[in-house]
Amino acid sequence: MFKDLDPILHSQLRLAIMSLLIGVQEADFTFIKEKTNATAGNLSVQVQKLKEAGYIDVNKQFKDNYPQTTCKITQQGITAFEAYVKALQEYLQVGKTK
Amino acid sequence: MLSENQEFDPQQSLRLIDEMIHKAKNRFSEDGFLYLLWGWLVFACTVLQFILMHVVHYSQYYLVWTLTWPAIIYQVYYIRKKKKQRSAKLYTDSVIGFVWIAFFILMVLLITIASRASDMPGLYQLVVNPCILALYGMPVFLCGIILRFPPLVAGAIGCWILSIFAPYVPYDYQLLLVAAAMLIAWIIPGYLLRNKYRKTFA
Repeated sequence: MFKDLDPILHSQLRLAIMSLLIGVQEADFTFIKEKTNATAGNLSVQVQKLKEAGYIDVNKQFKDNYPQTTCKITQQGITAFEAYVKALQEYLQVGKTK
Repeated sequence: MLSENQEFDPQQSLRLIDEMIHKAKNRFSEDGFLYLLWGWLVFACTVLQFILMHVVHYSQYYLVWTLTWPAIIYQVYYIRKKKKQRSAKLYTDSVIGFVWIAFFILMVLLITIASRASDMPGLYQLVVNPCILALYGMPVFLCGIILRFPPLVAGAIGCWILSIFAPYVPYDYQLLLVAAAMLIAWIIPGYLLRNKYRKTFA
């Protein structure tokens, strides 16, 4: 049914992460955790999957002696997100005309 | 709580995208602090300079502007601190930063170029304050548009109107126009920004 939809993005948490990152220049792991209400462990796994797909850049550094992870959407991620939204719209359009 | 659930339909997907974009967009990051700091400081400096020139008749009235030096140092510290506390960086934050950098460079250039006019009696006094007023309007206008905050746009238009009248006013009194510009373009919008910021995070 959803074969045309990008399997990397067609997951609630990964889609939520991408939707947050598309609207900001970059965001901390804590910001994404707070907005998605996800657990740190699950979020960490999904962030890693998006990174491996080349959809986001992840930068780990230390801020005031505490580790800080910053995420930023890549151009490849923007293209994939736009294609995903277009596919969704086409699917809904088909649904309406039926 | 969101999961890795693949079984959600396109409508749910679009709703989720919309909800998340809305959550990210709703971060109003401007608390108005720097508008208030610089608004009150320049307001105080111009009024003080006017008093020193007119009431006290003190020849080194321009020394009041040394008050801006500690403010610059404090601003650098404040911006660094805010950057550390920030959990997400918006595109508008960067654009606004560049607008203020451009404004600062233009101010330095204007004062440097205008200082050349000090050789020609009266020209410096005639041109500098009206140009400064016109320049004050530029970042305020752009920030008002970027932040979608009409009081800043109104303040900028106010600065530009004052800049038209300023060349017809004696130099000393132009200072009071600059003080008025601070009130309408920086101080009042600064308090309104602070209220909006506090309401957003209340």
